[in-house]
Amino acid sequence: MIWYALGSILLPVLGSPLVLFLPERHVKKASQIFSFLAFTSGLLLLIAFAFNRASFTRELVTLNGINYYGVTIDTLSVLVNFMVVFLGWLICTYSAGYMSPDNKEHPIKEGVPRFYALMLLFIGSMAGVVFSSTLLGLLFFFEMTGLCSWGLIGFYGDQKSRNSALWAIILTHTAALGLYVATAYLYVNTGSFSVTALNKLTDAGKTIAFTGILIACWGKSAQLPFHPWLPRAMVAPTPVSAYLHAASMVKVGVYIFARTVLATGSVPQVIGQAGAIMAVVTMIYGFIMYFPQDDMKRLLAYSTITQLSYIFLAISISIYGSRMAFNGAVAHIFNHAFAKGLFFLVAGTLSYTTGTRLLSRLKGILNKIPVVGLGYIAAAMAIAGVPPFNGFFSKFMIIISGFEIGRHYPLILALIIVTVIESVGSFIWFLKWMGANVLGAPSEVVASAAEPPLAIKFVLAVLMIMTLISQYIVLFLLS
Amino acid sequence: MSGTSVVNALAVLLILTSMLVVETRKLRRAAYMYSIQSLVLVAIFLSLAVFMQAEPLYIWSITALITKTFLVPYLIIRTLKTVGNQEEEGPALETSSSIFLAVGLVALSFVIVEPFHMHAVLKLKVALAVSIAHFLLGLLCILARRNALKQILGYCLMENGSHLTLAIMAYNAPETVEIGILTDAVFAVLIMTIIARRLFKVFGTLDTDKFTLLKG
Amino acid sequence: MIEVGENILFYLPAVPLGTALLAFGIRSRRMVEVVHFAGISSVALLSLLLVQYVLRGQTLLALDGMLYADGLTALLVLIIGVVGFLDGFYSIGYLRHDLAQGQVDAKGACFYYGFYHLLLLTMVLAAISNNIAIMWVAIEATTLGSAFLVGFYKHKTAAEAVWKYVLICSVGLAFALYGTILTYSSAFAVVQDAHRAMLWTELVGMARGLDPQVMKLAFVFILIGYGAKVGLVPMHTWLPDTYSEAPSPVSALLSGVLMKCVLFGILRYYPITLQAVGKEFPQTLLLIFGLLSVGVAAFFILVQNDIKRKLAYSSVEHVGIIATGLGAGGPLGILAALFHVINHSLTKSLLFCTVGNVARKYGTRDAQKIRGMLKVAPFTGFMFMAGLLAVVGAPPFSIFVSEFMTLAAGLQGGYFWPMILFLVLLVIVFVAFIILISDTVLGFPPEDLPRGDAGWLCLLPLGILFLLMAGLGIHVPAPLNQLLQGAVSVVLGGK
Repeated sequence: MIWYALGSILLPVLGSPLVLFLPERHVKKASQIFSFLAFTSGLLLLIAFAFNRASFTRELVTLNGINYYGVTIDTLSVLVNFMVVFLGWLICTYSAGYMSPDNKEHPIKEGVPRFYALMLLFIGSMAGVVFSSTLLGLLFFFEMTGLCSWGLIGFYGDQKSRNSALWAIILTHTAALGLYVATAYLYVNTGSFSVTALNKLTDAGKTIAFTGILIACWGKSAQLPFHPWLPRAMVAPTPVSAYLHAASMVKVGVYIFARTVLATGSVPQVIGQAGAIMAVVTMIYGFIMYFPQDDMKRLLAYSTITQLSYIFLAISISIYGSRMAFNGAVAHIFNHAFAKGLFFLVAGTLSYTTGTRLLSRLKGILNKIPVVGLGYIAAAMAIAGVPPFNGFFSKFMIIISGFEIGRHYPLILALIIVTVIESVGSFIWFLKWMGANVLGAPSEVVASAAEPPLAIKFVLAVLMIMTLISQYIVLFLLS
Repeated sequence: MSGTSVVNALAVLLILTSMLVVETRKLRRAAYMYSIQSLVLVAIFLSLAVFMQAEPLYIWSITALITKTFLVPYLIIRTLKTVGNQEEEGPALETSSSIFLAVGLVALSFVIVEPFHMHAVLKLKVALAVSIAHFLLGLLCILARRNALKQILGYCLMENGSHLTLAIMAYNAPETVEIGILTDAVFAVLIMTIIARRLFKVFGTLDTDKFTLLKG
Repeated sequence: MIEVGENILFYLPAVPLGTALLAFGIRSRRMVEVVHFAGISSVALLSLLLVQYVLRGQTLLALDGMLYADGLTALLVLIIGVVGFLDGFYSIGYLRHDLAQGQVDAKGACFYYGFYHLLLLTMVLAAISNNIAIMWVAIEATTLGSAFLVGFYKHKTAAEAVWKYVLICSVGLAFALYGTILTYSSAFAVVQDAHRAMLWTELVGMARGLDPQVMKLAFVFILIGYGAKVGLVPMHTWLPDTYSEAPSPVSALLSGVLMKCVLFGILRYYPITLQAVGKEFPQTLLLIFGLLSVGVAAFFILVQNDIKRKLAYSSVEHVGIIATGLGAGGPLGILAALFHVINHSLTKSLLFCTVGNVARKYGTRDAQKIRGMLKVAPFTGFMFMAGLLAVVGAPPFSIFVSEFMTLAAGLQGGYFWPMILFLVLLVIVFVAFIILISDTVLGFPPEDLPRGDAGWLCLLPLGILFLLMAGLGIHVPAPLNQLLQGAVSVVLGGK
């Protein structure tokens, strides 16, 4: 099993420099192969784990008696890794269609090897985060993902995208200082980098360490006050945005928080309080920001911010002792990835075929390009949390566990009520846009839309299926 | 007159001569002052050698005589021949205030040497304090003076100070060390004068305040 | 392997000396290149050989104890050998370009190589001398030896730079001489033996008996003196001028190797002071100088426009980081500092060499005018980006590791708030360099600029440096680890 995990990390990382040296016509093929191999590793790991359910940690890099990096295999890592490599592969496949001179919004003529090299490195780094058994490993790959996203957000190379990329790297790196301090603090006080060593800290020590971790996670997951980079990052090529928002980058934050909370038996409640309050504040902020948005990708960006707040809220509630809240968080990490990935790729397909992402100009998508219309519906429903789509299940778990904990903690109760209100509000808002964009007679731009390439259609179809079934995979593994 | 008082008296003379070096505005004359000053230094070396029965200091006196009294002034004067006799303009510091500063430096040096309890030092604390003051005076000369050649002379003063300290505290050091240090000193002055000539060639002046192409 | 034993301590300086003399005598470009290449390769091989001896647990002594090699020496000699080789290798391609342009004639090139080896000679001597006064002489000689290289181009600015360089460093070293004398005389008071009182190996052994008052003063003088030459703030003012005006491979050598030689001068006094006056005093001083350097440099990196000056200030910053590591103290802090020394040598050499290519391609070093490097010269652009990422401590490059260790060591030493300040300053540097990459490497090049990279001679050394730098970030080979551990115990306890 360890080899499957390493395969998910190393195969794409190896592929990354390779595609830089390949002749340009082979690049797309090669990157699809490498991402597919990574996906296979992830899938095999998922299957193997589903059967024997053996959680373990293996130390890999040890020098002078100190373990620097190791691999942890458990439900959390196996699930999230599967999502990372699966979406990674889908995005690479989708990009084969998207990153072409035929793209209406942004014809791509050069830089394709660079794009794939960064994508593959991104996938590998994400897998690296997911499996890491040490804080140092988390920090290392945390920074790696930051660098990859920087290169990808600034991919088009114009002033605006380069500046947006700067926002992303600078804000997340600044937040990362928290993780630097937490890691060094852990090492100094316990002589170990292992995540489980967090247990050995005193309560005051845990508060220091978790404060650092929380700050870093807020930065990466674009929570207040580190959020400004995320809406700006929408200048990236859409497959990149999809990957950033669905499976990587922003998920690094919540994943690290989940991983450290899971490894630490009892986290000081003050961390739970801080996490929950900031989550709800961010949620409200993100929700308010829905209304003025006309660019579909920006709307999705704010939606990502609020969905991540759900996850932060859930993990924070789990600190109060709710197992279900934690499971809800894991499920939401997983489910949201497919829903949001789909949503972004729908947006990308729209800009590919129609050349615009402005919500007000899109009408009657279902009529003209049915596969995109269906994708829109599935994604919107899943994000809004409508059964039978996957978003419903994880949101439901979070809210139920919130009410349970809320019986003893009025603060949590208040927060969870706000969350429910937000949930209803965003449901209505997404429903409104869905009705306007998908149904009815095609508007001018939609009517003139070109047919999307096969690769794009295939990916959309796979993701639609996943928005319907991903919750069962989670529930099966969590049981 | 005991040995130590001779040394201490010479040390005071050293300070006076070095003030002359700093305050002389015509560079050629300053170079001669430096030569005289080095002569005083050699005298100190010799008297130390006599009174403290430190044989190695005889060799020191000879090398110092050659390098400091003749070689360094020669290098400076040779440079002056190419760049024309330099005269400093506009005092960076008034003479009175530099004397005041020099007194302050001597006082500071006495404070510095106060905690020294080493055998070699005990009898010669005044000379030691003077040597450190001398070193600081050289530093002051570099900081306060704008002419590049004057700064080289300042550097030479610093060296004289440190070499005096060396003679007081480490007169028994191996000859190789002493030769190495003195050779370095001469080479440093040689290279500085070469650079000074190049500076004059490209800037047409040796006023270091005019060398302002590189900033920030 | 040929057994040369302690004779290696003679070969190491003899080879560069011989090469230098040969180079001064030659007037043909081809010949001098061959001689130069043979010289740097031999030094590199000898350095590896020395490392091998030291790893085997041998301490080498020669010339009545005057020459000496322990773990710390081996580490420094390794840097001199390997980085000196790569910078020397790059010099060949670099100078050929100047020769082709007619900026330099064959005689100038011969002098360049001659002085290059003289500098190597003085650095090797500084590394292997056990006598603290000879070490001082050698370090002073490095200033004199490198003056020609710094002022290699006959520009006005180069003349100004070399003046500042020689004057400030010589003045600084005068302070270091004071420190040396003070150390010697307090040791002489203990042993009454002139020969032994100058040997570092003896000094470390008797450090506990030295007069603490004198040793405090000595350490301050040493730190100011050698500190001026490594570029610690506030004695750093010469450094940006010198590094930016010197030919790029020389900047690489100064920042990558020479600076480390002088730093090791301070390191030699560290265990003596530690034992003589306790750890509080030297560590606090180093921490203050270190953080001050990082802070001032961070500000200047942000506001500078000249990329080479930015890199020069980055050298100040990294010396500050090393000093901070030493100030944090303890085995971890020393290890962090020593590892950082290696990493910074590789990274900064890479960067200065790369800037050599960049400045030639664009005909300017102004960060506002250099655009789209990745599209114009992909290999150089990539190396520049990788080097800058490495220099700000981004993974997977090795500086990430040593900076993190510095942080951990600081926290271990109980310096919580200074370390937070340290991190914030590093973020400022990070921002400055990330913006620089964003502006110069990414984006679109000027239309009229022809595309195409430098010749392979100017690219291959970069590739090797890059591989070393990235490799160390992921894995520290066992021999190097052993060498580092050995060096740490030398710095901490003398043996």
